[in-house]
Amino acid sequence: MPNPIQVRRARLMAFAPPQAAMPARSNPRLEIASLRDYRLREPVSGRSYTVLRLETRGGLEGYGECPEISARDLAGVLDAVRGTEATQFETLRHRLKNAPYGLMAALNMAMLDVVGRSAQAPVYQVLGGPTRNKCRALAPLEGAADSDLAESARRARAAGFQAFLVPAPAPAARNQGQAFVLAARKRLDTLRQAAGAGTDFVLDCAANLVPGDAASLAAAFERYHLLWLEEPCPPLNLGALKKIATENVTPLGLGRSIQQPSGFQDLLREEAIDILRPDISLTGISQIRQMAAIAESYYVAVAPYHNGGPVASAAALQLAASLPNFFIQQIPFPQAEQDRKMRAAVAGDVETVKDGFAVLPSAPGLGITVNEKALEEYKERTA
Amino acid sequence: MKRRQFLGGAAAAMAAGRVAGESRRSVTTSACDCAFSPPQAAPPGADAFRGLGSKVRITNLKVFGVSISPTSDRPYVFVKLETNAGLVGWGEATLEGKAGAVMACVNDFRDFVIGSDPVQSEHHWQSMYVHSFYRAGPVMGSAISGIDQAMWDLRGKILGMPVYKLLGGPNDPAGVRGYYIASGRNLDELRALRANAAGQGITCFKGGIPGYYEWIDTNDRITAAVRSIEMLREGLGPDIDIAVDFHAKTSPSVASVIVKEVEPLNLLWVEEPCPPENVKAMARIARRSTTPIATGERLVAAYGCRELIELGVVDILQTDMNHVGGITALWKVAMAAAASGISMAPHGCEGPIGLLASLHLDSAIPNFLIQECCGNIVPQPRDKIWAEWFGFPAMRMVNGKYPLPEKPGLGFDLTEEALSKYPFGGSKPMARVFVQDGSVAEW
Repeated sequence: MPNPIQVRRARLMAFAPPQAAMPARSNPRLEIASLRDYRLREPVSGRSYTVLRLETRGGLEGYGECPEISARDLAGVLDAVRGTEATQFETLRHRLKNAPYGLMAALNMAMLDVVGRSAQAPVYQVLGGPTRNKCRALAPLEGAADSDLAESARRARAAGFQAFLVPAPAPAARNQGQAFVLAARKRLDTLRQAAGAGTDFVLDCAANLVPGDAASLAAAFERYHLLWLEEPCPPLNLGALKKIATENVTPLGLGRSIQQPSGFQDLLREEAIDILRPDISLTGISQIRQMAAIAESYYVAVAPYHNGGPVASAAALQLAASLPNFFIQQIPFPQAEQDRKMRAAVAGDVETVKDGFAVLPSAPGLGITVNEKALEEYKERTA
Repeated sequence: MKRRQFLGGAAAAMAAGRVAGESRRSVTTSACDCAFSPPQAAPPGADAFRGLGSKVRITNLKVFGVSISPTSDRPYVFVKLETNAGLVGWGEATLEGKAGAVMACVNDFRDFVIGSDPVQSEHHWQSMYVHSFYRAGPVMGSAISGIDQAMWDLRGKILGMPVYKLLGGPNDPAGVRGYYIASGRNLDELRALRANAAGQGITCFKGGIPGYYEWIDTNDRITAAVRSIEMLREGLGPDIDIAVDFHAKTSPSVASVIVKEVEPLNLLWVEEPCPPENVKAMARIARRSTTPIATGERLVAAYGCRELIELGVVDILQTDMNHVGGITALWKVAMAAAASGISMAPHGCEGPIGLLASLHLDSAIPNFLIQECCGNIVPQPRDKIWAEWFGFPAMRMVNGKYPLPEKPGLGFDLTEEALSKYPFGGSKPMARVFVQDGSVAEW
């Protein structure tokens, strides 16, 4: 008499036979076929950045951007990614951890651009957005003297910005006293006057101050309601930052030099950061999404730093519309008309700002059409 | 249409409230009948995102209780979202022992869902979580999980991609590594299991510890626990990874004693060595042993895992796709864990939809270790039912890995008709166990 358990097992095995291993299907149309870089330089400001163009086997193209790419790094990464499907943007982000950050950031943007175009949807839809319908914008002011900065603020305001990143006055020496604090105060008063009502400011120390001066500024501006005080000290000076953050309520923004998500962990755990400032061009969309995911549990948002070109602006807008804990996006606003013309020629009107907010693109992928002719035209010529 | 009229009416009432507010009589007309009534409660509809979202709108939300056996303590709770595009999305909100509560909670989110654009899963997750005011415990976490999964399913179908591609994967096209239950009760059965596993490419099993434990325990019971774990290693051999689930049966004191004894066995992990509420208590166990500690199946949202990650208590997080808050929340847990070098081994002991959703996520996170399914190396009756529903043997490994579902979205088609053979048999409590003196024990 057959064992009833074995009979039952045999019956169950019959409906679920061991299958042949069937690997997940890749979409050959989306496999990375080529990468090409265009190093651009704005004619007046001299600001430079590199646009990366990705083409897939199916002829889809995607764009990304970073500060610079060496020919050798590009060749190495292309060898490593050729044949990879553009959807594997997370797989590659971790597999190629040791590739240069900027290049990986640009590649991440370009892969997501392709995924969005292939799905005929903006990248933020691929990532679960839109989480907002417009993107608060921050204009970095240009100039050294208060009067130059005031002029810069008036222009940016006229262009639609209502929030401004202001460089702190250069300290004349280490351990400044009253004069330095007063100079900063005067600068902000001048700018608030120039920019008019309803405007907000970030005071950027660019990690140039000794901790004592940074703490003095943080204290002096406690009741000024800055959006935040930017890089009062280098982010690795955790002890100094923690002291400033404990003594003062002025919010602290940090992280333009941090490319690894884990780089923000201790700042968050030690309560020394109020807003994450990873550089979009050095970090990429997916890497900042990971940073934001970590920050969310601390009720902290991201506001990506950006001093690059219009393709990274487009990537930053896509990122903003995919995140719940996003506050504001820095968007370069060059003083010179020629520079602004170049940015528009490369990527269209993606940097349009109205009533303090950037308009979110609705076209597929990064939402821009990159003009290849403009890339060739503005490509930096080596002398 | 009716909803639109309703919202119009609400807006009119709200406007009236604002006017009345000036004469300090607005409270009775406010949405929340409280002093902090929001001055305006814009409908969470898709209109605010016109031109940015998709054109698809959710037209109906259905929730199904599915009992595949009359005594199951975990009738599956499935969520189905219907849309004006004809596409449907499925998700799972199963919560052991609390099926009725979760089904009611899913329905409580009806106003959040109907009329919304399903591609905005992150936005809706935030709205469900934040606008619920009271933060999510397991009932709300499971309800959000079911709706979130169904929205991801829809987004994949709308964008024409399996969810693992939306998440940036797959890391491994061959699939996702998994384990079955170490179903042998003695050395002979475990040896047979080992041979069977070798033939099928299975690389890992999970066992438990026998009986129930008191705050401090006797030499007999501790020795029995240690022996049972040693038997797993002896029977399964040196090449199989072994996880041991303490199921929070033990106190930190008892767990520490047992974990110390089994340290030489190099277990893959010891799971839930104590209950989850007190992170520092679990930290005490973790600090006293080199054996990796896994926990997290009862935690909700990334918020629920923050302290565990911060204190360096765990080596492996096991948040459950059906409780943590769906794909959206599990991804965030994985991202936070990854930055701290913590691995992910998502829990899964409920129905097949959440498990299939887990596979998509597993294949796209950098710190994935292994996926549970609470299955047996020999298929069980539930496997047959799942195969009937989906047309493929869901959560059956091939060469030690679960193959990835290939179709857009979560990758399966499911009909209400298929489920109707297994009607809801009502909520059933989880097992209630007691120690020798009749007092309450954990299991």
